[in-house]
Amino acid sequence: MQVAGVLQAGQGGQGAVGDVPQGTDVVLRVDGVSQSFGSKRVLHDVNFAIARGQIAALVGPSGSGKSTLLRAILGTHPAMTGSVEMDGKRVVAPSQDCGIVYQRYTLFPFLTALENVAMGPWLHSTNLLERTVLRPFFGNARKRILEEARALLGQVGLAKAADQYPSEMSGGMCQRVAIAQALIMKPKLLLLDEPFGALDEAMREELQEMVLELYAQNLAAKGRGERAPYTIMIVTHELNEAIYVSDRVLGLSQYWRWEEESHAAPPGATIVYDNIAPVFAPGEAFDPMQFRAQRATIRRVVMESEPRFPRHEHVRFWGQVRAGEAQGVLGR
Amino acid sequence: MVLGYALLSHAKRVPNPSYNPADTSPTAAPRTVPNVALPDAAGFRDGLRRVFMPRDVFVEVPQPDGSVVREARKSFFGSWYWTDNVATWGRLFAGLSMGIAAGVVIGMLMGCYTPIEAMLRLPVDFLAKIPPTAMLAVFFVTVGTERELFWAMISFGILPTLIQSVYLGARKDVPQELIDKARTLGASQPDIVGSVILRQTLPVIIESARLCVGPAMVYLIAAEWLVASEGFGYRLRLQGRLNDMSVVYLYLVVLGAAGYAIDVALREVVRRACPWWGK
Repeated sequence: MQVAGVLQAGQGGQGAVGDVPQGTDVVLRVDGVSQSFGSKRVLHDVNFAIARGQIAALVGPSGSGKSTLLRAILGTHPAMTGSVEMDGKRVVAPSQDCGIVYQRYTLFPFLTALENVAMGPWLHSTNLLERTVLRPFFGNARKRILEEARALLGQVGLAKAADQYPSEMSGGMCQRVAIAQALIMKPKLLLLDEPFGALDEAMREELQEMVLELYAQNLAAKGRGERAPYTIMIVTHELNEAIYVSDRVLGLSQYWRWEEESHAAPPGATIVYDNIAPVFAPGEAFDPMQFRAQRATIRRVVMESEPRFPRHEHVRFWGQVRAGEAQGVLGR
Repeated sequence: MVLGYALLSHAKRVPNPSYNPADTSPTAAPRTVPNVALPDAAGFRDGLRRVFMPRDVFVEVPQPDGSVVREARKSFFGSWYWTDNVATWGRLFAGLSMGIAAGVVIGMLMGCYTPIEAMLRLPVDFLAKIPPTAMLAVFFVTVGTERELFWAMISFGILPTLIQSVYLGARKDVPQELIDKARTLGASQPDIVGSVILRQTLPVIIESARLCVGPAMVYLIAAEWLVASEGFGYRLRLQGRLNDMSVVYLYLVVLGAAGYAIDVALREVVRRACPWWGK
């Protein structure tokens, strides 16, 4: 969606949504989202917007409501207050606009890797009756879908594992297939919910490289003057990973100085950190030490349970974009 | 088992009242005869002969004058073995098919749709506590004593347990994340039920059906014991009352072998239909 003019902020006033520069192609807009479960307030006035082609990392301490926010974006648990819009359309239920890769339960166990990737287009192009009773009449469509799936499986380096079931593959292979399964639907936004959390270090690095490959394709598309194909939001506990694979880090935390906004009780977590992250090319060597300062800031602002900062003090992303500090798809 | 039985049968031979120690002729009665409860090989030969003996079947024979006369002819299709097998397995197959079809449909609906679960859970839990054999009187007055009685005994007997298994499988075995993911891939609610939940719970359904075969046979034999005029239950009751244990044991062997064969066949169905299961 081409944003004509500056978007209105949520009730917080200085939230990230309000600062989006004119002409930015916004894919996800989270505006004033609050969520409670009974008397427990989980999210409070969450505001941010993600532009097309970005890879944004969301970090936060345990219990900060990252999963709740993700569910609101996915549409399984729509926001009670505020709105989530995907490409200008309000999200009220899960749809093909938003893909998801979870840490666990990533694949359908009764399908092979190839069938898992083909599942989306197969569901999309046929109904239940056609897939079961009338299946012989849809042989050509199925063949075409399987070819498309096979090509995508090849892109994620798993062409040889096409006929393996999820239980026969490693965790890393399953995650690759899951990413291919989501990408084949060409979602406007891909959500990765701690996707590499259960993997060993080597596998994790491989998959981080894969995410950087997707970002490189976004940059190439930008270079050709085309729309970036992949917009990704990745939730992770690992700060190095957040900074390395993304071009932006968002911090969600319940530990902020809410008393200054006249709340009598903790109102819930909100975005307390939103800054650019360095952009890396796939295979580019990096030293985690170079993230040390940013990591320390995130830890201080987002992770520490002693609230020290007002919520907007470290929400600077769109200001940085306007100042030309951003790299990658929003860089100059 | 065979050797053990042979030794036991021999050890339990009883004195022959017709035995005459003075009679030394080749046709003299033996000193001991087999125990009636443990017939020997000769007894089994006799039992087999009677089980497979061709008996009368009625055939319609056209006459030169155009009329039709019913004639009795000896045929294998009139033997106990054939008539009892046809009767019992026909009833079992029909009753199981009805029970499984109903159990899968109701279980899936309960597992996938909360209002149906709320409506049926209590009645199903309640019915599951009533032994099907105790319902026999109800079936007598509602469906009569013909084949419908056997179908009702089997299908109502296995239904509550099967519904509970399928319902729990549909509800618990498919993580919510997979359902949400299917929605992001464009699945509608019928797609989710038919292409995700049913497929993922298929091995559970077949396993549950496999475990229902044993109870179904119990209900069927019990019903045949009481009201049938052919079938395994009928023959076991009749021959049991006559102490004709050679036939009883033969029928038990056939029942065991058939039950085992069904078990193996259903395991094979799971292996072929759900190759991902158990890997």
